[in-house]
Amino acid sequence: MVEQQKFLVYRNSGNGNIHYDRFEVPISKGMSILDTLFYVQDYFDSTLAFRYACRGAICGSCGMTIDKVPLLACRAQLSTIKTAEKPINLPELSFGEPPEWDQEAEILIEPLPNMTILKDLVVDMEPFWKFYKELEPFFSREWKDEPPESTQSPSQMKKIESLVYCILCGLCWACPVNNKNPNYLGPAQLAKAERFISDSRLSKKTKDSIVSHILKEDAVPACEKYFVCNRVCPKGVMPGTAIKNLRDEWLEKK
Amino acid sequence: MNIEEFDVLIVGAGLSGLRAGLELSKKWNVAVISKVFPVRSHSGAAQGGINAALGNLEEGKNDTPKGHAFDTVKGSDYLADQDVVMFMCEEAPKIVIEFESMGAPFSRLESGLIAQRPFGGAGFPRTCYAGDRTGHALLHTLNEQSVRNGVTFFDEFFLVDLFKVGKQIAGLIALDIAKGELVSFRAPYIILAAGGFGRIFKHSTNAVINTGDGVGAAFRVGVPMQDVEFVQFHPTTLYGTNILITEGARGEGGYLFNSKSERFMKNTAPKAMELAPRDIVARAIETEVIESRGFEDSYVHLDLTHLGAEKIKERLPGIRDISIYFSGVDPIEQPIPVQPGQHYSMGGIGTKFNGDYGETDLSGLYTIGECSCLSVHGANRLGGNSLLETAVFGRYIGRTLLKKGLPKKSPSSDIKAAEEKIIENIEKLFKKWDQNSGKKPVYVRNEMGETLNRYVGVYRQKDDLEKANNILKRLQKDFLSVHVSTEDRRFNYGLLRNLELRSMIDIAEATALSSLWRKESRGAHFRTDYPIRNDAEYLVHTMVYRNKDGLKIKTKPVKLGIFEVKERKY
Repeated sequence: MVEQQKFLVYRNSGNGNIHYDRFEVPISKGMSILDTLFYVQDYFDSTLAFRYACRGAICGSCGMTIDKVPLLACRAQLSTIKTAEKPINLPELSFGEPPEWDQEAEILIEPLPNMTILKDLVVDMEPFWKFYKELEPFFSREWKDEPPESTQSPSQMKKIESLVYCILCGLCWACPVNNKNPNYLGPAQLAKAERFISDSRLSKKTKDSIVSHILKEDAVPACEKYFVCNRVCPKGVMPGTAIKNLRDEWLEKK
Repeated sequence: MNIEEFDVLIVGAGLSGLRAGLELSKKWNVAVISKVFPVRSHSGAAQGGINAALGNLEEGKNDTPKGHAFDTVKGSDYLADQDVVMFMCEEAPKIVIEFESMGAPFSRLESGLIAQRPFGGAGFPRTCYAGDRTGHALLHTLNEQSVRNGVTFFDEFFLVDLFKVGKQIAGLIALDIAKGELVSFRAPYIILAAGGFGRIFKHSTNAVINTGDGVGAAFRVGVPMQDVEFVQFHPTTLYGTNILITEGARGEGGYLFNSKSERFMKNTAPKAMELAPRDIVARAIETEVIESRGFEDSYVHLDLTHLGAEKIKERLPGIRDISIYFSGVDPIEQPIPVQPGQHYSMGGIGTKFNGDYGETDLSGLYTIGECSCLSVHGANRLGGNSLLETAVFGRYIGRTLLKKGLPKKSPSSDIKAAEEKIIENIEKLFKKWDQNSGKKPVYVRNEMGETLNRYVGVYRQKDDLEKANNILKRLQKDFLSVHVSTEDRRFNYGLLRNLELRSMIDIAEATALSSLWRKESRGAHFRTDYPIRNDAEYLVHTMVYRNKDGLKIKTKPVKLGIFEVKERKY
């Protein structure tokens, strides 16, 4: 007999029908939570909706809440999901009426928190992209293709390295501030601002412009220093630390 | 039905599509259509780097674009078109410097210049990198510049079919994934930059979304597939999930060991060792496993432990993460279990002989990036050349079309008629899938993947290939009766995956057929029954068409003339 794993999966038709479905999936070696969702889609219910792309934790598509923790489904391994250490002091993430959940036997799959749910595990990412764009996170200098390239020392590069690794997955929107303030720009967005502001190659003009965005009420000042973002970030970006640095450098100075 | 009209449509928002969009949006009304948000595209998974003869390192000072072109042509086992390779390699330093000017966060040398590392099959260290997440860094950079320049995107729109009027492309029908509605996009120019199709194989490093939607759609309007028998098997994919372990790991000094603790590359490439081109290393690993010198009859060891913790953390942090999370192995302490896996499609949408690079035989339809076959990689691609190809030809195609100007549009009554016909066919197909009572698509998809892995893999031979061809013909029939619910089309991923399968099964069939047809060994295509390269008969591109009796093969000449065709030794 092949060993089975039980799942409790949040379903939302997008037009009022919200419930949880139970599935049992045969376990195979090295299976990720994303693999199990594909199994459900392939064999039980082809309409189960969830986003995915790379299955290697680099594209940022498959963020969801698994056993009440925001995770990338592709990187969450079935074999360790119940025993893996969980980030401490996470806010309670609820999606309406809580289901009857056997915490030991069942894996609970829910969408990302603090975003509008469009269907099943698919959330509306539009506000996430909108706030990202509002910060104007880009170089504004003219492109050129003749040598030499602009230089940057390895230590200057080091300053932005971990910030560059952000995959815009949205797990950090589990932040309690995102929960109560729909206009909060969000940890990933502010970390992206810091990625540019602290890039030694950025012109003063562009830097000033991005700084003016992060000083707005719903940007850095809205952060309440929960550091949930640091604890759930799958790529070690440490958005909370980035926001703290922005605050120390630009807000306190003012 | 919604109708959108543009001057140019670009399908795919990876590096190729984004770069083309940036160029064309300067002057024209352009839309980029993608089934995922741009930063989710598979370009972002590229790890090792992008080649350019910048000569930033002392050891690379004598490097030249011509040297880069020679390595590429030799690496291709002389099947690449030499004019287009030369163009790409001359553009390479410019394109990398342009990326830097856009803000790309490259790793740096002490001199402050862009860092470069050695890669397989290259005469000099010319692979520019951003840690081991180069694709991610470049993809985000182009996305940032697209935001800056206000490029128009249709995110989460799936290309279902192309349509033409006479011999001119006229538009495409896309499925709005969120709303579940079909939308017609009309344009006199369409650029397919829709990515590779590694998912026709069961074991692939590719994203789950790499399903050849562009290749399939082009094939259905009569554009052939070119060189699809040339499938790159990356030597080092993580045992189990087949997630990519970059060639950069060997570029930084990693060793390959079999279960007898031998660096077995000494047998096949005594000079280049672990940095021989990918086809050669992949075959060497496969041989070790077949001849029982692997581990668990499945894999060999990629050992980085001698590089030390500091170098691994600095140069290969992503690889370390992947090994720890997906395999439970910390490469600082233990070797990584690796096996060859499908990685890259050298073949793709067939291009016109003597046309602009990326031009197809269907007027107004162009193709760039992995879905295309230009052919810059010939029978085997060198590491670091795919990121290069994307941006070079994204920029090139944009400039070329702007220079050409907009073609005369077909009469709108003709466009409307073609559009209505294709929509009707798609609606019929969806209805049929909903009413069918056959297998679930997963059975067809799995059997297709297993068939290719088993019979059209690293080593190929006649009997196996015939088996594969027969199975795939049967699977084409099975596919006609698969059932998938299409009633509620909003975020209906079951429906999307069946549309993907519709393209994949054509590509799989063409791959098996052209592999059987090519009775020689060249680059990544290795026939145990024909182990020698045969230039007299097969120094040609394979073009697969479909007519009413099934698939048929034609050939297209290879552009030679710059480098002499020679035996390939490392």
